[in-house]
Amino acid sequence: MTNVAWSVVEVAAQLLEHSEREAVLGDLTETNEGAWQGLAGIFGLAVRRQLALWKNWRPWLASFGLALPCSLLLMGLSLSISQAYQRLINSTVFKDTGITVGPGLALLLCNLLLLIAWSWTGGFVMGSVSRRTVRVSAALSFMPCMFCLTRFHVESLSRFCLLLFLLPAAWGVYRGLQIAQIRLRSALMLAAVITVLTVPAWSNKGSWIPNWALSWPAWYLVATASKRPAAKGDKQWQAS
Amino acid sequence: MLGEFEYILITAAAGLGDNAYGAAIREEIESAAGRKCSIGALYTTIDRLETKGLLKTWMGEATPERGGRAKRMVQVTAKGVQEAKDFYDAVTRVSRGASWVANRRGSVL
Repeated sequence: MTNVAWSVVEVAAQLLEHSEREAVLGDLTETNEGAWQGLAGIFGLAVRRQLALWKNWRPWLASFGLALPCSLLLMGLSLSISQAYQRLINSTVFKDTGITVGPGLALLLCNLLLLIAWSWTGGFVMGSVSRRTVRVSAALSFMPCMFCLTRFHVESLSRFCLLLFLLPAAWGVYRGLQIAQIRLRSALMLAAVITVLTVPAWSNKGSWIPNWALSWPAWYLVATASKRPAAKGDKQWQAS
Repeated sequence: MLGEFEYILITAAAGLGDNAYGAAIREEIESAAGRKCSIGALYTTIDRLETKGLLKTWMGEATPERGGRAKRMVQVTAKGVQEAKDFYDAVTRVSRGASWVANRRGSVL
């Protein structure tokens, strides 16, 4: 196998877990297998490993119960916040006396906090529920983003205002991959804050479905939170 | 009961003894059974058999001919030996009287 072909095989082997990668690359070296055969073998093994993971309910929940619907809903909320911000800037702050804290600003801040909290909790649950399929979940949440980005035509707004949720969601995924659970007190506080922030929307009959679709990850964190006190050197999340 | 490929893998691993690891088992299967054995089929079957308690695996030593990479060593457990024996007995019993067995020269059945 040439150096270039071997490098390609080694890159493809990153799809495998560390110990398995060692064994498989060692086997390929020892048997002096051709590049194409080596690549096919590695991809075949990676596909079989991925398919085996999908026999469990967790990847389905993370991908189709969370990543796909939440990215759509959070994109809608991102757009709504951007439009509200633009309206507020145009009508209140600069045209009148300057700093006016009215109900519009309070609602905007409330929605912004909700966006961050929903994105973070959704990302955290996505990362912690099914770590090994997180790439598929991420791809599923990017698909509607790409679709909407290409069809977004609002002259006064940048198309990237749809993606306001991405940063807190990515942070949540990162933390979810690092630690599977958060402490009960933190989870309860987060869920309570999210629920309180959704109160203004309760008067709107049509909004309870998206609200609960986005809020359940916070209550899932409460249900699965660690009840034991953190030990010394424990990596569990307290406040970050 | 074991599947056909599971039986072949256990038999190959048992035959190799202390030298049973991924590449060696694969070569043994390909030469003895006369069929291609993909890396994916080999390692997913090893995992499945290990989960069932029929095999035990561990990472062995790294050797220069493997580019300094470790082997995944395989050992058939007592339960694995029993399952393989049960499979062989079942195949032997069910094959009695089959034309391809009865007509074979030197058949032991």
